[in-house]
Formats: sequence, C-alpha cells, structure tokens
Amino acid sequence: MTATNDAAPGGPSDTPTVPIHLRPARAADIPALVPLLLRLKRLNEEFDPLLKVRDDAEHQANEVLRAQLSDPKAVILAAEGVGPDKDKVVGFVRALVRERPFYTPEWEGVIVDIYLLPLYRRRGVGEYLLRETSAALKAKGAGVVTAEFPAQNEIAIRFYAKRGFRPIQLLHARSL
Amino acid sequence: MAESTVAPVDEGRDPRRRAKPRRTAGARSGRKTAALGRRAVALSHFYGGKVETVPKVPVRSLRDFALWYTPGVAEVSRAIQADPDRSFDLTGRWNTIAIVTDGSRVLGLGDIGPRAALPVMEGKALLFKWLGGVDAVPLPIHAPTPDAFLSTVEAIAPAFGGINLEDIASPKCFGILEELQRRLPIPVWHDDQLGTAASTIAGLLNALELTHRSMREIRTVLLGAGAANLVTARLLLALGHDPHRLSVVDQRGVLDAERDDVDELMLRNPWKYRVALQTDGGGRSGDLAHAVEGADVLLAASTPDPNTIRPEHVRAMAKDPIVFALANPVPEIWPEVATAAGAAIVATGRSDFPNQVNNSLIFPAVFRGVLDARARSIPDEIVLAAARELAAHARDRGLSASHLLPTMEEVEVFPHVAAAVGEASVRLGIARRALSRDEFLERARALMQRSERLVRALARARLTPPMPSAKSLEDRSAP
Repeated sequence: MTATNDAAPGGPSDTPTVPIHLRPARAADIPALVPLLLRLKRLNEEFDPLLKVRDDAEHQANEVLRAQLSDPKAVILAAEGVGPDKDKVVGFVRALVRERPFYTPEWEGVIVDIYLLPLYRRRGVGEYLLRETSAALKAKGAGVVTAEFPAQNEIAIRFYAKRGFRPIQLLHARSL
Repeated sequence: MAESTVAPVDEGRDPRRRAKPRRTAGARSGRKTAALGRRAVALSHFYGGKVETVPKVPVRSLRDFALWYTPGVAEVSRAIQADPDRSFDLTGRWNTIAIVTDGSRVLGLGDIGPRAALPVMEGKALLFKWLGGVDAVPLPIHAPTPDAFLSTVEAIAPAFGGINLEDIASPKCFGILEELQRRLPIPVWHDDQLGTAASTIAGLLNALELTHRSMREIRTVLLGAGAANLVTARLLLALGHDPHRLSVVDQRGVLDAERDDVDELMLRNPWKYRVALQTDGGGRSGDLAHAVEGADVLLAASTPDPNTIRPEHVRAMAKDPIVFALANPVPEIWPEVATAAGAAIVATGRSDFPNQVNNSLIFPAVFRGVLDARARSIPDEIVLAAARELAAHARDRGLSASHLLPTMEEVEVFPHVAAAVGEASVRLGIARRALSRDEFLERARALMQRSERLVRALARARLTPPMPSAKSLEDRSAP
C-alpha cells in the first residue's frame, strides 16, 4: 500500500492553498515542537489508560526530537502558519523508516505523530501533511506508509480510511 | 416585590462570604423554601400527583363507545394508515407532547433518576397546560445510554406532535437534541438549551436597545459553557455578533482554540470545541478578569455563588455595562452589588428581582405555536423569532432598566409569542398547516384561556378539591 497514489479527488489541497508552510524541522524548532508533541500524547491518553503520559514526557520529547532530527531514517516536518502566524509552528509530523525483514516491501515509513493546532484542522492541511510525508518517506526508500494511533481514535481511523489506508496489523495489550 | 414563583433555594453554604444586606434575606428565603418543600410533599400526597387524563368527548352511555372505540374507531385508524398526517386531525396528537427526561440533571438535584424526576415533569406538564393549553405527558424514562434514550424517544414519537426534552445532563443533551431533531418529523426542544438561550437573547436585545448598542459592535463575555450558554453563543453568532469579540469563560478560564484541554473537548464535547474554534477566546486568554476588560455585556449562566462575579469585574467593563447573572437559585453577583459597581442593566433568573430571564415565558408559547402550525421541526430561526417577539412585547409596554422583559403576569405575551412562532414556521416552510398570524394569535388565545376555564370549572364542580390548609393536611389523606 503506497500512499503516494492519492488521487485526492476534489481535494482542496492539490495546490497548497492550505494556510501553512511545510518544511523539514530543525533543532531550533524543538522548543515549539515539544508542546505540540505533548498535546498529541495527552490526546492519546484520552483513549486508553495504557497510553498514560509519563511525568518526564517533556524531557523525553526533547531527547527523542533531538536524536531523530539527526537520524537519516526519521522524517520530521514542521508546519508554519502564514500571514500573521508566519514563523509560528502550528503542527508537525514525525515519521520513521523501519526495515521489514520478512515482508515486502522491505522498508516501511511509519507515521508516529501527526498533530495540528485546532484552528488549522479541517482545511485540507492534514491531507497535505500526509502527502508530503509520504513523499519524504518514499524518497528514503519506503515502499509502504503506515500510521500508528490509538485503536479507539475514530477520527484518525476515518481520516486514514478516507485516504486509502486499511488496518494490516493489530496491537493488542493487557497490563502486567 | 412579587413572591418567587420559581422558589429560590438558598443553601447559605457560607454566610460569611455573602454581601451583608443579603444575609438576612438569604436566611429568610431559605426558611421559606423549606416550608414550601414540606407543603409541596403534603399536597402531592393529598392530590396524588398533579395531572390526569380527562375525556374531551361526550359519553352519554356505553353505546357511544361504538364510535369512540371499536368498531367505529377502525375507520379512523384506516384513514390515518392511508395518510399518516391525518393523525393530527383525528387524534389528540395535534396538541400533545411528551416531556421526556432520563433524570440525569434535575433542577439543582443532579442525577436523581427517572422516578424521582416525575414530580418535576408533572409540574412542567401543568405549566404547559396552564400557560400554553398544551397536553403534555410526563415521561421520565430509564435510559442508561444516549442510544437507549434516542431509540426510546424515536419509538414513542408517533403519538406526539412534539417532544420536550427536560433535565438531561450536559454535554450529552447536545447530541441527543441534535440527533432527535434529525430523526423525528416533529419539533424537538430542550428547554435548558433553547428556552434559556431564547429568553437570554430576548433580554439582551432590549438591553442593547436601552444602552444604544448594536449586536455587530459589542464585546461579550459568556461565563459558563453549559447547555444554555453554548446555545446562546450559537444564537449570538447567528444574529451577527463578531466571533472575535465573543469570549466564553469556564472554570478553566477563557476558552480559546489553543487551550490545553481543547483536544479533549474535541472528543468529549464537540459543541464546546466548535465554539472554542469559532471564537478563539474572542481575542482574549487567561481568566475572567482578562475577558471582561472593556466588555459591553457579561452573560453568566454558571455557578450559584454570589461571589462568582466580583464588583471589580463589573468595574473593568465598558461604560454602562450589561450584566446577566442567571445562576439559580443564587445569582453570580447580587443585583445591588452589580449596580453599585456600575452595571447599567442587571438581570437574574429570579422572580424576586427585576428583569427575570425566565424560560417559562418561552416554552409554553413556543409549543403552542409549533403545534398550531403542526411544524415538522424547530430550527434556530424559530427560537430567534420567539426571542424577538418576547423582546418586542416588553418594548411595547415601555422599556426601562427594570422592565427589560415581560413578567409572567403579562399573560398576553404568550399568545403573541405563539403567533410569532406559528408565522415563522409557515415562512420557513416547515408548517403542515399555514394559518395567518392573526389566526395563530386567536387560536393560541382560545386554547390558553380554555385551560384556565377548565381548571376553574373543575374546581367549581369540586372535582378538584379546594387547596387544603397546612393544618388540615396533617389529619387528612388523599381522596
């Protein structure tokens, strides 16, 4: 399943009239990215107690972003606003290219985080983010793009389903 | 001052914090409320509830049942089977509504369940009959989930010309109302959302008129983000209020689009989430003090604590500010405190102060109007038509800072609001029956007066026993 085949019929985001400017994230973005990443994790927490956010999550977010910004297998894009919100980071995507030793295509691009501030939602921005991320993952050799999100997140399920994604593996959990 | 009809319950949790002039009044009203409560229990026992079914046809002998019941009635059924809308002509459906609740948020009592909600629904049914001439069936239901609630109401709808939802907890009340309005071919109303918002808007329209303000220019703060205020926000925007001058404030402060809990709202309360995005805090963030700075209007429907709004909040507002403190039984600020702090116009939810914002002025008339039009739905335009008519009625009687809205004693307001609602239903194309405004008015008057004559006739005939004195109640039992 490649995600670069999105025909996006009638999609408003074919030309980026979306109110953002997307670019690779830099180390200088970390202070702006951390709160967004934490918002996403706290949203995930709403779906399942096993996704409870750690007390040191902020520190972890800093560390993870710092490490992955220099990791060639990671794609981290920052979405900046336009107009009065120029230079403000209003969303981001974090994706990782992983090897699939037993399956083909053998490289998988996993979208682990995708977050937009509420005022930037439902305007074709998510669609645009997904397409640009897919292209970046493909450029790093991924033959399939996948997305990780809480099983109960109906909004994410609908978002991806509409764009040709289907569940291929399930992650079931139980406390120990 | 008129005696309270809506029985303020003053819990007097911490009298030290209350403004001094109110301390004795609070204690007095607390004792009065306790006495009213005891008497209400005794009377409920004496009368065995408040409403009953009364035949509306003559019964000369059992032979008449060949018409009212089988075999004659079969032809009536066949006629309705052939044309379902004839149920409005051939049965009492044209004038009958259900008052449905799950008992999840009753008065100030909280989640007391359907059985305990029944006396409240009976009281509401009595109000519907007395003020609106509407036959209302009290119907508390056991509905543990919103889906159970929806399917139950959908299942009973064929018997009714309208549904009045009552005392359902927020935010589930929003989804239930929206979904029932979508599914059912009859008007569905939730008083805590629509009735309160409509009477608030009516009062606000007149307050703006009195202080020479326009809806498009004002800065407004809504304190509280429950059922009433979220609908008030929606109606304000529909009336042309600038969303960027509208600040909604709840316990966590100004509701803006980037507040920490906004993603949680997206999942748990999409109605509040929508308002957060539309207004984005009205250009403000932080607490109430930040929001009220320079505001023209403060509409509070929040916590029954007279220290919720402080005098300095009122002082920080624009010149001649408008303050509605609508929490019951205790307003968010005592009217005299608000006035002393500079408020030009103050309204509360209580009948013992001037300017009572009271949904009893709205709901009986709204249902009278939609029932007479046999309306299929009840969109916001209808709610606004009722609000505008209520405001106009007060204007006709002479507007002043202490006469912002009609009082319950101005009984002519009911048929006029009903007629405005009926006319709006026809204009919007949702009426099954198109009457003229005058016809709606006459019909509403006649049906409302009939209720009063009926109650009086039953009393004259001693079919309703006279109200027993408190003393005699102690040694009498129900008939």
